Formats: sequence, structure tokens, C-alpha cells
Amino acid sequence: MSRSPLCKPWEHTLTRRQLLGAAAGTAGTIGLGGLGGLVQPAVAEEMKQKEKQVLFMWIDGGMSQLESWDPKPNTQFGGPFRAIPTSVPGVHISELLPRSAKQMHHLAIVRSMCTQDNSHSAGVGRIQRGDPKNRGVTYPYFGSAVAKLMGPCERKLPPYVWVKPGSSGFIHQDAGFLGPKYGALAFGDGKPPENLLRPDTVSEADDAARQKLREAANRRYGELRRPLANDANSYVYDMAQTLMRRSDLFDTSQYDPRDVQRYGTHDLGRHTLQGLKMLEAGVRFVKVNSYGWDTHGDNFNGHLSLMDKFDQAFSAVVEDLADRGMLDHVLVIAMSEFGRTPRINGHVGRDHWPEAWSIAMAGTGLKRGVVAGATNDKGTFVDTDEYDIGHMFHTWFRCLDIDAFKVEYDNGGQPLPIAHDDMQPITAVLA
Amino acid sequence: MPHRVRSLSYLRVLAFAGLVSGSPVLGSIAVAEELLHQRIDKLIAASAAGDLAARAEDGEFLRRVYLDLAGRIPSVAEARAFLDDMSADKRTTTIDRLLASEEYSTHMAEAFDVMLMERRGEHDEWMKFLQTSFAGNKPWDQLVREILAPDAENEAARGAAFFYTKRLERYGQQDDDMPGLVRDVGRLFLGVDVQCAQCHDHLFIDDYKQEHYQGLYAFVGNATIRTDQPFPAIAEKPLMKEVEFTSVFVQVPKSTGPRLPGGEEIELPLFKAGEEYEVPPDRKTNSPGVLKFSTLKILAEQLPRAENEFFNRNIANRLWWLMMGRGLVDPLDMQHSGNPPSHPELLDLLANQMAAHKFDIKWFLRELALTETYQRSGRLPAEGTVPPATSYRAALEKRMSAEQLLRSVLEATGESTRVREEKEGAPKFKDVADRFNKALANPPKEPELEFAPSVKGALFLSNDTLVLSLLERHEGNLVDRLIKLDEADAVAVELYLSVLTRRPNDEERADVREYLDQNGDRREAALGHLAWALLASTEFCVNH
Amino acid sequence: MATTEELKARFAPNEVQQLTTSRQLHTLRFSPCGKYLFGGGYDAAIHRWAVEGDEPFKELPPIEGHSGWVQPLVFAHEAGLLFTADSWGRISAWNYADEAPEAVWTVADSHDGWVRCLSLSPDGRQLASCGSDRMVRIWSAADGTKQTELSEHADDVYAVAYHPGGEFLVSGDLKGVVKKWEIAAGKSVGEFDASALYKHDRIQDVGGVWRLEFSRDGKTLACAGTAPFGGGTVQGVPSIMLFDFDSGQLEHTMKLGAVKDCYVHDLHLHADGFVIAVTSGTPGSGQLLLQVPGEDAPFFSSTKMSNCHSISLHPDGKRMAVSATNRGSNGNGRQLKDGEYAGNNSPIHIFELVS
Repeated sequence: MSRSPLCKPWEHTLTRRQLLGAAAGTAGTIGLGGLGGLVQPAVAEEMKQKEKQVLFMWIDGGMSQLESWDPKPNTQFGGPFRAIPTSVPGVHISELLPRSAKQMHHLAIVRSMCTQDNSHSAGVGRIQRGDPKNRGVTYPYFGSAVAKLMGPCERKLPPYVWVKPGSSGFIHQDAGFLGPKYGALAFGDGKPPENLLRPDTVSEADDAARQKLREAANRRYGELRRPLANDANSYVYDMAQTLMRRSDLFDTSQYDPRDVQRYGTHDLGRHTLQGLKMLEAGVRFVKVNSYGWDTHGDNFNGHLSLMDKFDQAFSAVVEDLADRGMLDHVLVIAMSEFGRTPRINGHVGRDHWPEAWSIAMAGTGLKRGVVAGATNDKGTFVDTDEYDIGHMFHTWFRCLDIDAFKVEYDNGGQPLPIAHDDMQPITAVLA
Repeated sequence: MPHRVRSLSYLRVLAFAGLVSGSPVLGSIAVAEELLHQRIDKLIAASAAGDLAARAEDGEFLRRVYLDLAGRIPSVAEARAFLDDMSADKRTTTIDRLLASEEYSTHMAEAFDVMLMERRGEHDEWMKFLQTSFAGNKPWDQLVREILAPDAENEAARGAAFFYTKRLERYGQQDDDMPGLVRDVGRLFLGVDVQCAQCHDHLFIDDYKQEHYQGLYAFVGNATIRTDQPFPAIAEKPLMKEVEFTSVFVQVPKSTGPRLPGGEEIELPLFKAGEEYEVPPDRKTNSPGVLKFSTLKILAEQLPRAENEFFNRNIANRLWWLMMGRGLVDPLDMQHSGNPPSHPELLDLLANQMAAHKFDIKWFLRELALTETYQRSGRLPAEGTVPPATSYRAALEKRMSAEQLLRSVLEATGESTRVREEKEGAPKFKDVADRFNKALANPPKEPELEFAPSVKGALFLSNDTLVLSLLERHEGNLVDRLIKLDEADAVAVELYLSVLTRRPNDEERADVREYLDQNGDRREAALGHLAWALLASTEFCVNH
Repeated sequence: MATTEELKARFAPNEVQQLTTSRQLHTLRFSPCGKYLFGGGYDAAIHRWAVEGDEPFKELPPIEGHSGWVQPLVFAHEAGLLFTADSWGRISAWNYADEAPEAVWTVADSHDGWVRCLSLSPDGRQLASCGSDRMVRIWSAADGTKQTELSEHADDVYAVAYHPGGEFLVSGDLKGVVKKWEIAAGKSVGEFDASALYKHDRIQDVGGVWRLEFSRDGKTLACAGTAPFGGGTVQGVPSIMLFDFDSGQLEHTMKLGAVKDCYVHDLHLHADGFVIAVTSGTPGSGQLLLQVPGEDAPFFSSTKMSNCHSISLHPDGKRMAVSATNRGSNGNGRQLKDGEYAGNNSPIHIFELVS
């Protein structure tokens, strides 16, 4: 059969162990208190105080490391492009990143990513879930993990917001075993969710009054009930209320036109600028998404066009976060599910290459202006220590002051590590 | 007396599954003296390992049984009548009355549409097929047979083909979903998900072999959509050779003919080219012809039958889930030896009884509804301990589908008649239904198995003008009735009975009084707020 | 004009030789003297083969000095020069017939980045270039002195071509804008709308005017590329748009395959009124086609070669070279060959064109 395989990673993760657990009544009963699922409440309390935030730029389909952070100009697989110097002496990146090159002194690049998944269907999920050792459960995406481990910021906006092209919705699948409420609130094309605005017939005071009545009803219902449904239902109403109060976040007409030009008038530029506004408003974790990077054909013209947009948006947001002093508490990550093959196929494209690729980061907890790891001269394989996505999760948690060796998830009594337990943070990029 | 001799292939099924406990309940139908619902309660009680919740109060029971059997909450009149009814058998008579109602077949059609199509799309002929099936209490095996080998000549049942055609549809760049179809035949009718065995033996589930995926594929792989009919219809190409496949891991070429998981491989007859048809296809009349060897017909004969233990267990488990909120095997489509049921003996009993009663869905649901297990309260037996969901010691909260919510909101607000009959100024039922679906149903292909509230849904119930319009005063609706009541206490009772199918407690009565007192000059708005708060509450939004 | 049947009888390409390469080539061109075949590579080299009668082509040491990719190869017959350019902005002129050709002149930074195309004026005195810096520039063919700069394009300029009359130059860009320049005035005097060769998909600009070719009489301008379907893994229908040069009217669009075949990578407008084109795309692997404009189907096509990128007609008119890609070029290449990560290469197929 020539049909594409249907296997999805989350289905592969249903193991006997989970199913036995489920049968015994352990799985599925998920503690729903904001941080109640953590093993050590004291640590949880401590973390709750921090207002660290994350901007996660997901470049879906696979950005070519050779056309971005790890150029190998004038080599067999180097492609047509040049490397250019950056604001950090000695560090060169692709000429397709001229603006980002000027922000290099804020960045931390890892050039020695070596991950496991060679397909999108597996990679997109596994990479964003940190590919922990198989524990028989579906792990949360990084955004859901942060939403669970850190909760919303003090301003009580949804902790995990996803600005993306296409449709809106509440993407509960991201949350895995943490339970639906840690999913992503997706704003399709950055637009406000439907029914965000209170109709004229309901005044602000009336709305507050009826919500109070609803809360009282839920409080009464919750007595002597399993907490799951009632908590989840109350939670989505709280979040809806917060969003209604911040409907200005979606009013892009108020943005400074100079910013709009600087970030780019394309989707990625607009969504990244909106992501910055969300961070400023107090969203804990903002994911900005660009699709269409799977350049199996016409890779070089493709990257010439795509990288220009990425460069514009990424450099602008790093610059703005730095200018506002926000890099001290915001972690910025830009990455794909894998890199692209060194070898160039007959369609003048590059295929999937998890063996040796790069991730760009900036911000809290990280050194500034560093490159960690290296590939060999041809860019085919990693020449230094290889880092899997588990190393990155450890690194990011460290940046967010979460000790991945102490903090665990509590999946209905089953303790689960928050990052791959055989891996460690990458000290070379940690401040 | 049902046929109890195990065929060879049945033994194979058991060996494959390693599931059957060898319990004496097998084959003991003839000697059974107790009714099924009594035996269920005994088995549940025997493994409860803790206090059982009290019997649900009348209101709690009534709301649940209406939602489960009629797809809506009871009207205020129905609630009042039931609560005031002093007869001892009022629960049983209500169950029987609901099972006999037209609303039962509508609700079951909607519930099975969601289960079998998983929000892939709608079709009137498909809904007609389901509706008439449940109205006539069509045995489950026959219903499945009609789905698996749809008959375009049978006008009442031809819509069954939608199960195939929707999955085989192509649109835009989207190819047909044949792998999804193969998978769904296994998931929905056998309770086994062979998806990951498409390309290799399942990595974690030893029972699921690549042969099982490929064997199922051999049955349905030649189905194609007929484009010559305005209704869903399929044609079938002859299966000329075995399905060849190679594991992506071991690279050893294998092949198989049609074969059910655990069943015998079916030998392919050899036909000379051109002789595969009993009645050859005719291009002029667009007739697809009649095959001498139709794998779909064989599938329809072999899969839905009492000898197929997977089939029996799957429907028993799914109907149990529908009523009780959790499958004895959970997830529903993960029947295999590594995932035993929470109550193995009970599942055996249910599966066998289902088969023994010729797959009589109504009888089965009635037995479940009559159990103490079903009629237990959702309030936990003791403070501080949450009994495991698998114990069934307290009733589990169930998701309300968009359809159930819609009908219940209309019932609660007293707007059901006005909207359904499209009275002047009333929104059209279809429009309201579409809005509820959009806001509250899952996206396509995502099973709706558990309560999963969303911000989108919360914003919908909070701000959608159509929803809010139901809380404005119209003649005879809830707010209108409430306005006409002078006493705050009477308002509270009418409100709670209408929305939550119970009378308010003292605290709730006091709250209603206080809120009305605070808003004495704007009674209509205040009543709207009180009603809205109950509609948005968890107590209303889940089937508890 | 010959009928298609006659063409079919006369032109039936028959492969007579295959050359192997260790690297991938972008462009393949016979020298006007017919004694050499040159290939511009992804390895910054200019590969060479000596052509003698029916003898097997003999590979000569490549010409080094470029960087990145060498894309355009253009000859000045009388001057005996080969002009080449690379993706880092360098243009060089070589005495190509020398045993070890050396650069006669070089402009290291003719463009900021990728030089996509070169074209020599009919009188052999000017060389036009265009590139990713959105510029069209005109150089002295004799010494590389910059003469004119044409800066009206808003996007990457992919192709440039002199009109056979010598008075006009055309240049085509990413968005399908083809400008007609009056060289003496140094300004554009008209446009051809080839925007069908462009699409904005998500955040990607897809397609562009990849090739510009004039018919010998200068009446027809061919703009080749793809009618894009989508970006990422770029797909589209390989297309050649034929314009009447004087009126600027689109006369005909040749569709040379399916969405999977994607780009017309190279083409030759044959003196007998048909087009020789090679296509390459995803997930298809393209084909070689001989097709008469206005007809629905090619009178000859071959899918035997995988992903052909260039085609060159020998000056004798009887032979033709096509560069393709090795089979199995897709995939990650993780299976190492002798411990080495293997790259792809461009086998060259030599055809007898005339039966």
C-alpha cells in the first residue's frame, strides 16, 4: 500500500503500563488544582511567585540549519548562500538572517541538536513534548507543561496562548495527561475568539453579578463531588472572563505602524508582534506559529523568501524584548521539529534531518551571544556532544527556575519526570 | 436457546485476545434466575471495596434518565409530576415510557451518529437510517450488517453507506481516508484499534499484529464511492489477490486475504478475468454490478455475529459507557490482553447476555437503567475520599453532547416549543443547533468521550446573542412564568425545577430572594441572570 | 512550418552516451565551437568535457574560482569567451578554449548575492546580469566595466535576455513582472504580465520567471517557470508563457505536465518551431519534452531521467545534452556509503536528436 502511515506518536504511547494503570483506576484521575499536581508543594509555591514568561516560535515543517544558524558556505552541501558576520565577533550565520545577525549578542544558538524523529507526524509531537522516556502516557507540549508548572501570571490571563494562522480553538490535545485545561488557547490569525465581546444587552455590572451567581452555584455543586468536571468548568469561565477584560489585545489597529512595518506585514510578523503584546499583557507562554517550511522542493528559493520573514519578526521581537528589559524574564525559543538534509535532492530541495540541526534562543537564564555545539565541516553530523530535545527541556526548565530533577508531575499517584531523566541541561548556554 | 457451541474460529478469538476469564457465567443463560440488572449490581458491589453512594434522589435520577434515554432534561411539568408521584414503581415506568418515546430514537440516532461518524459530517439519509433503526429497535448485529454491506436498493437503510462514503470522500487535496476506515471498522465495531499495526506489528500491544490491520483492509479496501446516486452509496471492485505488505521494521514480505482479528483467513476464489461478476457492471445504466465474491458481504456476515466475542464485548462495553460514563474496557477501542476490563466477569456477562438476547439494545439499556449502579447518586459517599472511577461506587459525570445541551437549554428556558415550531420571532431550530454544534462539539475525528469544557464554549454561553435571547421574556417561556410569580420562594422553586430538575435548598432560596430584592426595579433582567447562572453552572452542563 | 508528424519523424531523441559526475550541476551548455561541454555546479566549479566527433566525451579538470553555485553560462563566440556567474555575486569571463582557462576579467561583487542569469547582447559587446539584489546591470563584455544599472524591479530578478534586435532587453522577477528595457534610454518601456508564474502562499513567495528566451526572429518571448500550486514543498504546473514581443500580448501558455512536475528548469526554442524543455518537481521527477506551442501534448517525452535541470543543443543541431539527477536522490541519506554521507550527482545524458 502506498498510503502514508497513520501512526501517530500519541497513539504509540498507550502502553500496557498505562492501560493497566487505567484499569486499576489510577490514570484519568488528574489533580486539577493549579499546582496541586506537583509532588512538592513548597517548590510549587516558590515558582508561583516568579513572573517568568516564554515566547516559543514554532517553525513548522523544518527550517534548514544550513540556510540559517549553521551555514557551511562553499562546501558540498552548503547551498548557494554566503555566511555573514554577526554582532558577536567570530560568529557567522547565514546571509538570510541579516537582521538577526545584528541581535546575535542577545542570542544563544545550539548547533548540535541530534533528535530522534524523521517524520513530521512523529516529530512535531515528540519534539514539543520533550520526547521523554516512554512512561505509557502522553506527555504535555512545552506550553502545557509551563502552564501546569507555573500557572498563569498574576494578571490571570490564560497561561498558554497560541497565535497561529488558520483556525481558532482550545487545543486541549497539547496538554496530554495533564488534562484538557492545560491546553492551548489558539487565536487563529491572531483574531479574538468568537463571542469575546459582551453584547450591549449585558452591562459590565450585570455580567459580574450573573458570574457571581454562577460561581455560587458551582460552589454548591462541588460539595461532595469529584472535583474534575466542576474545576474544569469553572476554569474555562474564569479564563473567558479574563479574556473579555483584555479584548484590546486583539485590536491590532492600535499598534504603532512603525512596529507593524518592522515586524513585517505578513502573518508571521503580525503574529509575532501580537505575541509581544500578549507577553506584555501577562500571558505566561506565547506560542507563535509559522507553517509551510517543509521545503522538499525548491528549498533555496523557499528559504530566501521564508527566512526573510522569519528574520524580520524574530530580530524585531528580540530587539524589543531587549530594549524593554524583558529578556531578563522572558525566554525566547525559535525552532522546528528537525533540520533539513545536508544533501540536496533532485527537486533542489532538502529533506528531513534530525541528526544535526540548530535551535536559536535568547533571554532569561541564558548566556548572551554564545554558540554551543558544532557540526562537522560538511554539516552532516554533530562533531561535539549531541543534544536531544530532552536536554533542551532541561535547559528551558532551568531558565525558568524549575528544577527538573526535583519537580515531578503527579499523574494520579504516578510520579513522572518533567524532562527526560537521562538528560541534563546544557551548561554551555546557561548563564 | 441461543447457539452456544464455540466454533474453531471463536476459540482462536479467545486465544488471540486472552481476555475471557473462564468464568462460569458463560453459557449459563438458561439457568439464570436473577435478572441481568440484579446480577450487575452484585458484581459491582462485590468488588466495590468501599462505601457506595446513596440512591440518587428522584430529581437527580429523573434528570439523568431523561438525558440518557430522551436526550434532554425533563420539562418542569414532567419534573413536578415525577417528584409528586408517590407510586413505588415510578422509576421503572419512567424508564419504560422514555424507551418507548420517539425522543429515544432521535437521541440514540444522535448519540450513535457522534460515536460512529465522530463529527465528520452530516447526511439526512444516514440520520434517517439511524432514526428508523432505533425506532424499530433494530438488533445491533443487523444494524452493523447494514452499515458494513450497504444495500442501495433498500431505501430505509441505504443511508448506512454514509459510514463508508464519508471516509472515502476526497475533497481538495485531501485524499480518501481508507486507513481511517479500516481503523474505524476495528475501533467502533470490535473495540480494537489496529491503526499502529498498519505498517508494523504494534510496538506496545502484543495482540495487535500487522495481519489484523491488513486482514481488515482486505475486506474494505476495494470499496469505492458511487457517484451515480444522490444518496450515499458504494461500489466494490473485485479482490483479485491477497493484500501484500511488509513490516517497515523487518522487511519480510507477507500477504493476507480478508481476515478478522482472531478469525480465519478467507481464501480467495480464483476467477478468470471478466468472470468476477454475477451481474457485470453496466456503464450505460451506471450499475456497479454484483460480485460473485464480495468481501464487504462476507465482512457483514462474519463480523456482526454472536460467535465474534470482540463484537459482543464492544457493543456491551459501549452501551455500558453510554449509561455509566466509563467503559469497563477503557479506552473503548483498546480491547486486548494487556488492558483487561475493570470487571472482567461483568463484561463477559454483559457481552454474552447481549448476544443471547439477539443484540436487543433497548432491552440492554433498560437493564442498565434498572441497576442500583445506574441509579446511585453522583454525590460521594464520604467526605475526603474520592472513589476510583472504575469502582462505580458513585455515579460518574458524563459529557453532554451539543445536541443534549441544545435540547436541554431549550427545555430549561421554556423555549422548546417556540423554537421547534419556529413561531414568529423565534430563531430557527437548525440555526440554533448549528451554533451549539460549532461551539460545543469536538472537531472532526475526535471522539467525544469525556467532559471537556472550553473557553469557546464558555464565551458562547456567556455572550452569544441567540443564547441570551432565550432568557428574554417571551410568552410562556421560563422568564415569563417567573415574572408572573409574586413570591420569591415560588420563583426559586420554578427556576430550579425548570433548569436543574430539583427543588432549591434553603440557602438557594435565600439567594434568589436576595438577588430579586436587590433588583426590584428590573425584575426581568434579574430573572434572566438567575436563570443564566444555573444554565452556565456545572450542575447543568454535565450529565451527573 | 513542419507538421507535428514530420517533426516526430525527424526528431526522436536517442540516448547515445551518459556521463557521470560526482557533484550536482545547475546548468549545462555546449560551447559555440562545439568542442566543449560546460556544466556550472553546486560545488562552485565549472565542469568541462571535451567533445570530439562521436568519441566518448572526455572530462577535463574543472575551472575553479567561483563560490557557492555557478548558475549562468554564456558564450561570446567570436571573442572565445565564456561568462560565468555565481551565487556570491561574482562574474568572470574565461578563455574557455584554453587548456587551463584563466579569468580574463572578474567582477567580484557584481551583485549583492546570487547572480541568477547572464545574457550577451547580439553584437557581443554587452553582458547583462541580474540577481537577488533586485538589480539588472549591464557590463562591458570585453573588460567587465559596469555600463548601466536598471533598478526598477521590486523583487529578486531571475532572468534576463537580450532581444535579437539588440535594442531591447527583458528581465523577469519573482512576482512574474517582466520588464522591457530600452537599452539606449536606460529605462523600461513596457511590461509583460507573467504573474501566473507566481503565487503568495502563507508567507512564501513561490515561483517566478525562471527563464526568458526569444524565438530567433524575436517575435516571441517565452517566459518559463511554474504555475504554482503551493509553497513549502513547492508544487505547480510547469508552464511556458509565450508573448508577442511587439504587442506584449500573451499568445499561449504551454502546460508541460501535472502539479507534481513543477518547474520548467530549462528550455530551448528550436529553429523548427518547437520547444525542448526539461522539468523537475515534487513529488514527480519531471521529464524531457519536445512540444509544439499550441498543441496539447508533446510529440516526444521521456520520463526515463530523473529531475532534469538543464538542456543544451550542440551547435551541430544533431546532438543534445541533458543533465538529470541520480535516482534515489530523495530521503535523508542516512545510510552511509563506505562511512561517508553521500551527496547526489547529475548524470549527463547525451542524445542524438535527429533520427
